[in-house]
Amino acid sequence: MVPQSNSNKMKIKGKEIDLKNIGKIILSIALGTGIGLIVYGIFLYFNIAIFGWNLGLIFAPLAAGYVETVVANRILGRNLGAISAFILFIDTTVYSFILKNPTLGTNLITAGSIIVILQAAFPTLINYILLVIIGAIISNLSWSFKKIIRTLKKIKSHIRWETENIEEEIIEEDIYFDENESNERLNSLNFFFITSTDMENRKHELLGIYQSEVVIENKVKIKLKDDELEKKNLKNIKEGKDKCLINLSKKIKEAGGNGILDLHIQYGLIGLGTDYIHITATGMGINILKE
Amino acid sequence: MILTSSNTLENKEIIEYKGLVTGESLIGSNIYKDIFSGVRDVVGGRTTKYEEELGKARDIAFKSMEEKAKNLGANAIIGLKISYDNLGGTMGNTILVTAYGTAIKFE
Repeated sequence: MVPQSNSNKMKIKGKEIDLKNIGKIILSIALGTGIGLIVYGIFLYFNIAIFGWNLGLIFAPLAAGYVETVVANRILGRNLGAISAFILFIDTTVYSFILKNPTLGTNLITAGSIIVILQAAFPTLINYILLVIIGAIISNLSWSFKKIIRTLKKIKSHIRWETENIEEEIIEEDIYFDENESNERLNSLNFFFITSTDMENRKHELLGIYQSEVVIENKVKIKLKDDELEKKNLKNIKEGKDKCLINLSKKIKEAGGNGILDLHIQYGLIGLGTDYIHITATGMGINILKE
Repeated sequence: MILTSSNTLENKEIIEYKGLVTGESLIGSNIYKDIFSGVRDVVGGRTTKYEEELGKARDIAFKSMEEKAKNLGANAIIGLKISYDNLGGTMGNTILVTAYGTAIKFE
């Protein structure tokens, strides 16, 4: 309030008010303040509180401001800017926080209520704090958080890279299959694996149909992309095939034979969800006669 | 290196049966390729990417088989058999290509 020295008028909220109405102004503020104090008293008496926070701290200033505004509008024709609400704010805050502190608890509700009260009392300042300062803090924290995440990702990728190298070395050793050694092993069994249906210029006796089976695990059934796994699977298939052929040769040798005609090697899937690959080798067991 | 699926080589005499030779290769398990090939199938187009991959796989199997035959001292492979088997995988597109035959030496 800024009194005007050269007239009987003063300014409240930028509006000129005749000093003759000062009594009405004081009456409006006093009524508002009084009602506010009564409301606060009622809230204190009945201990209307949430989490230890008396709701009178909010409703008393509101009631004071409301009554003052209504009265001022009636007798002055304009409002006074809820001066009584501000007075109530000071009163209740001093009483609750400093003098008595009867119901106040340290919790989120308290913090929220303090912000609401402060916002009502100092709207511009609190809005500035909420929007600019807190916004800046959140933004800064967010940036810091992103920076931390990026750093963690870098660390993770570094660790992963080193681990992958170790895994690659293990897989490289695991997927190697010596093709030539395998072929030499098969063809050094003193046994003829013949894929054609006859042997030119070789007399032989037929021993009958023979077959052998091997079942191996299928490692590529549901993988999206894993070349190393495919290579390992292929190695397993080759080993399975060798085992199947060796078993077949053993069976025929036990029957007195030394070869097989019309050899067929087949691959198929078995098991729930194609869990296994079965490898079969079939053909006509023969005994090649010496000339 | 002569490759034939027949039992004999016409006008040539087999002087020695060297043994069994095999070659295997595996293709598939590539989600991106699978998806795009699947799309092409849906719209009725040819999945040329897979045709190329199958061709490469067959070549690998043949090359492996021929190298083994050479190591055995053979100059032909008779009774050649080729098979393509689906091993499941992503969208059922993992294919095992196998080739095998009897390595021989002829005059």
